[in-house]
This record gives sequence, C-alpha cells and structure tokens, in this order.
Amino acid sequence: MIDTLSKYLQYSPDEPLLFSSGTFWALFLVFLPLYALLRDRKWQMISFVVAFSLYFYYKCSGFFVALLLVTSLFDWSLSRLMVRVKSQAEKRCCMVASLALSLGILAYFKYANFFLWNINALVDGNFQPLDLILPVGISFYTFQSVSYIVDVYKGRVAPTTTWLEYAFFLSFFPALVAGPIVRADYFLPQIAKVHHATRREIWFGLWLIMLGVVKKAIIADYIAQYNDLIFESPGAYSGFETLMGIIGYTMQIYCDFSGYSDMAIGIALIMGFRLAQNFNFPYKSQNLTDFWRRWHISLSTWLRDYVYIPLGGNRKGTARTYLNNFATMLIGGLWHGAAWRFVFWGAMHGAGLAIHKASKPYLGRLGDSWPVRTLSWIVTMSFVAALWVFFRADSATDAAILISQVFKDFDPAYAIPFASARMLWLILMLVIVGAHCLPARFWSKAGAWFVHTPWIVKLLMFVVLVQAVIELRSEDVTPFIYFQF
Amino acid sequence: MKRSYLPLWILLAVAFAIIAAVSFLGPVNIMGYELKDSGLAKWLHGPDTLDANDLELIVEDIVEPEAQPVAVDTLPKTILFIGDSMLDGLYPRLAAYASHNGHKLYAVIWYSSTSEIWGRSGRLAGYIKRLSPDYVFICLGANELFVRDIATKRDKYVKTLIDEIGSIPYLWIGPPNWKPDTGINALIAKHAAKGNFFLSDGMTFERSKDGAHPTKASSSQWMDSIVRWMPAHSPHPIRLDLPDKATDRATRVFVHQPDER
Repeated sequence: MIDTLSKYLQYSPDEPLLFSSGTFWALFLVFLPLYALLRDRKWQMISFVVAFSLYFYYKCSGFFVALLLVTSLFDWSLSRLMVRVKSQAEKRCCMVASLALSLGILAYFKYANFFLWNINALVDGNFQPLDLILPVGISFYTFQSVSYIVDVYKGRVAPTTTWLEYAFFLSFFPALVAGPIVRADYFLPQIAKVHHATRREIWFGLWLIMLGVVKKAIIADYIAQYNDLIFESPGAYSGFETLMGIIGYTMQIYCDFSGYSDMAIGIALIMGFRLAQNFNFPYKSQNLTDFWRRWHISLSTWLRDYVYIPLGGNRKGTARTYLNNFATMLIGGLWHGAAWRFVFWGAMHGAGLAIHKASKPYLGRLGDSWPVRTLSWIVTMSFVAALWVFFRADSATDAAILISQVFKDFDPAYAIPFASARMLWLILMLVIVGAHCLPARFWSKAGAWFVHTPWIVKLLMFVVLVQAVIELRSEDVTPFIYFQF
Repeated sequence: MKRSYLPLWILLAVAFAIIAAVSFLGPVNIMGYELKDSGLAKWLHGPDTLDANDLELIVEDIVEPEAQPVAVDTLPKTILFIGDSMLDGLYPRLAAYASHNGHKLYAVIWYSSTSEIWGRSGRLAGYIKRLSPDYVFICLGANELFVRDIATKRDKYVKTLIDEIGSIPYLWIGPPNWKPDTGINALIAKHAAKGNFFLSDGMTFERSKDGAHPTKASSSQWMDSIVRWMPAHSPHPIRLDLPDKATDRATRVFVHQPDER
C-alpha cells in the first residue's frame, strides 16, 4: 500500500492533478489544516503555499517545475534591479531581458515545431521536429510574469521585497495551470495584507468548487463522449448529429473551462484570496464585443492592457483601431495553440470584432426590440460555435468537413432517434443551457442559500455530487481542455 | 486549526470517509440501484492477477493459425458489430470496408459495457432477432481486464453471448491490453470456436490521452490487421477488400449509455 501511495504521489504524465480528482481532494485534506495553522504567520504560510504549489506543478508537469523556478528567480532579480538602476534605458534593458527569457521559453516550447513545420513547407526543407513536451500552464504563468515585469517597469506596482512573495504570486496553485490569469496589481496587495477567510467566504468557496465540479466532471466530461465521436470521425455522421456535436462542444468548452475557473476561484477564496471573475454568462452575448467582455475575461483584459493599448488601442484613428483589434485577436489565437487553425480562429474573431465595431452605427438604427435581440444572439452564437469547430477539430480540413456536413446532410428526421439514443446527453445539455439562461441574481441567491444552509445539508449535497461524478465518469481521465495551453 | 476552517475540513473528511466506505464495503444498493464504486479499494490493493491453473486452455493454443484457409464468402452480408467504447475507433473503419464490399453494417456501442452487462441483458439476442445479421463482430473485454477471479465471475456470460450468436459466423476481437489482464483473453479464447477469436494483446497501439483507447488512426490500423488476419484464420471469412475511403458511416449506429440496463 505504501508503495502504491508513494508511486501515486510521483509525477505521472497520464494522471495530472485535477481539482476534481480524488487525489486532489485527499491532498487538500492534508493541506487545509496545515494552512489554517500557518495562516497567521505570514512567512511560514507563504513558504508552505509555495512548496505546495511547486509540488502541485510537479504532479502536473514533472520536472518542468525547475523551469518555473528559474523564470521566477530571473523575473524577481530583474524587477529588483529595475528599481535600483537610475536611467530609463537601464530599466528598459531589465524589462526586455525578463520578457526575452519568459517569452523565449514560451516560444521555444510552444512554437518551435510550428516554426520548423512552416519553414519546411515554405522551402521544402527537411528540418526534423524537436522532441518537445509543452509544460502545463506555461502560457498562463508566462502572461502573469509579463504583466508583473511590465507593471514594475511602468511603476504601476512595486516589486516584491522577497523572492518568496513573487514565487507565491507566480505559482499560486489554484490559478497556476489554467488561470484565471492573475494580475500583479490585483494579487500582490493581497499577499502583503493577511486576510482571514470568513466563514461565509469559506462556504461560498465550497459552493463555487461544487458548481465547478458539476460543470467539469459531470456535464463537460459526459457530453464530451459524444462530441469526441463527431470530431474524431468528420463526415462519418449525419448533418443533424454533426450539428449536435458542434453545439455540444460549444457547451463543453464553456463548462470545462468555466468549471475549472470556478474551482480555482473557490479554492483561492477558501484560502482568503480573491481571483478575478473569468466568465460572465458568455453565451448570453448578443454581439462579439460583448462576448469577449464575458469570455475568459482575465485573458481578454490582459490582451487589452498589454497588447491592444500598447499597439495604440483606439487612439490612432478608425482604421488603426480595427487593425489593432485584429492583431490582438490574432495573438490571442496563437496563444491558444501553435497551429494555423488557431491563427484562423483568432483572425476570424478579430475580423468579427472589427466588423461589429464598423457596423455599430447601422445596427443601432435597428432598435432594441426582442426580435432584433434574438436575431443578434443567433448570429453571434452561430459565429462563435462555428469557430469553435476550428478550435477542436484535428485540422482545418476536418473542421471544413464538419461544417459542410451540417449543410450537406441535414435531415431533421434524425431528431427523434437521436433523442432516444442520447437521452442523458440531451438532458445534460438542456440543464446547462437552462442554467446559463437563469439571471445572475438567481446564482447569487443560490450561493447565499448554500452558505446559510445547515452543515448536514451541505455534507449531503457534497456526497451526492461526488457520487454523481462517480456514476457518470467515463473510463478515461479527462484533463481540462485549457491544460494544453 | 482555525475554528473557521474546522467545519469545512470535517465535511470534506466525512464525505471522503463515506465514499471510501462504499468502495471498501462492496456493492451498495439504494432502492434497487447499485451505486458505482469509486475504485479506492481496488486502487489500494493494486491490480489482481489470474491463477493460470484456473483456465484449462492458454491463449496461444487457441489462436494458432488454421492449417487450411477457407474460401472467402463473397456474398453481400448484413454485419452486426457490438461492443464497448472501442467501437468508436473500430466501426468507422469497418464501415468503410462494408460499404466498399457491398455489406450493411449495424454498430451497437454500449459504453463501459462488459461481457457480464451484455450477457445479463439479452440485448445481443434482441439485436440478432431484429437485424438478422449474417456475420457478428464483438469487441468486448477492455472494461474487464483487471477483474479478480474472472474465470469464475464471467465464464457464464462469455458463454451466454456465444450461445446467443448461435450458428451465425462471428469474430470476437480481444481487448487492446494496455496492461497484462487477469484472464479475460484466455476466457474468451476458451469459449470461442477456433479462428473466431482475434487476440489483440501484444499488438502495439498509439494510445489516446486516456492511455487506454487507441487513437483514431491506430484503431483503423487495428481493424486493418483484423481484416488481414481473417482469410487465413477465420472458419467463415467474408469479402473485405481494402476500401478507398479511410472511414465511412455505418448503416445505423445504436448507442447505449453506461447506466442503461
């Protein structure tokens, strides 16, 4: 048994540490009392959380934890140097050196093979792809590192006095591998000020974790089983079934990612830290601009502040605004993955945003009646869902086959047999669509109800939830979609 | 521990104890519904191994090649392909063979299913009655690679399934082992007639991220290997010439979810 246990505590590429896993639950049971004991002793608490976060990352990504340590040491040293040097040029050198290292590591692991592939295609070359494994969450913590160093350079935040504080910020385990992307100006003051989580925050944190588990481990993982069939065999299913798979994936990626964010925010809240909201009912959006204000908010605000605004934002004329929007979304697409389909996905969103901005004066004339709102919602969601196909398909060709299949081979007669064969899939889809349609105040009230409900009811709800996960789980371990970024 | 954290910690610990107890105490029934096990007890014990003496036959004896290949039946067939989630990868490739060679293919995927689930349900007999297939493919066993004392527990169900097929020519495709099994391959080999069992154990697969299922490409290669193996080994090989298309749609796919009984 000890052998099994020690083996389990080691890194295994097939078994990353997921918040919704039994392993994390068991580890959290050990973590929580120790954290509670050390909470009043700031430096001991910080050291303990950093150690736990590094172990968490080791479980997810093995010895790439060394890379995280190197990045944090280098960033922190340069940020300290930045406040010591006098001239602006020297400061800029420090910032550039830090950015070069962080972005260089990201570029090497994430984009080197993409670059070689394109070179091969362009010059008919024979460069062999490098044997690279992408460190889990590197895109997330690199963006955090960039925001810290840029903010220190611009004087928006003071550099942390110790490396431990910076390591705490960069490696904070709830947000380490799949966000939300934590911003230095928002998070560092929370480290400086010791805040004890209130009982209300602790229970609300558990509520968020439970919501996240429902979204990820019950809904996303279950509906993924059908969606995967459709995306793995493009053209092998009827147009109706393909359309259901596309709609299914649209909900799956939302449940998967927002579920992870809910769990991350909930765990942080239990520890007394606040992470920014990452999703705000994105599928209620009636236009693309609104969608990007509600979807992966920590990334879109990061891109706005560190790419769009430095490029000139909307300060350099209309044409330049559209171009900046487009370029920002292109970078956003490339951030998600090193493949032309991600570039296409970003470019289409960029183009969509530019078109929406350009047509705003004309759209305004249509008024705000419910048919206009409904039509706007249908157009926006169709656009978003169609682009998710490029996000999920194995290649752009597969994506094109899937989309054309919907139009070529669509027969509504499939609806009845589909509903009878995929009843549970359909029920879960209706549940998430229904839940998404409920007003935000309903969820606030539900959270408040959970906080004040008796302990025994909370226990019962938690046990039922865990058993539901066990009942519905597939034989596979299903990592979070955003782990790969 | 700070008092504010104590109720949460107790809640998490009690819930963990309840889930662990369900796993250690064995199957728990609530109003006739058997709760699934978290697998904690099994995980702590580690995978079980089979006592080789429990089985009279060993797989190698069963799967040795037929001495004389049989002539290929070139008539169009109605093929029924049943099994677990491995069909997701296998059937689109078999569908390509079927449409290329003029056969009809019906696929029945029952997720997380086992020989016991199929054997208890009588569903195979139902599909045979409904679709009147001329040929049956089965791919089952992947979800029972590590069942303890499998020779006793699953013997009758494997036999039931083969009995339900009756005189229809069939091929049982063994599971793509990712770890040594506790005897499911030997058990199928024991009951399947000679040349009616394709042992997949020992083949090399490219696995999907779950580590268990072969990837789409690897599943297609798996199906190709089965088709290549059939003419020399199967007692009733059917025409399965290499198709132009990589995958195709089955005539119809029936899906059963894990919780269906």
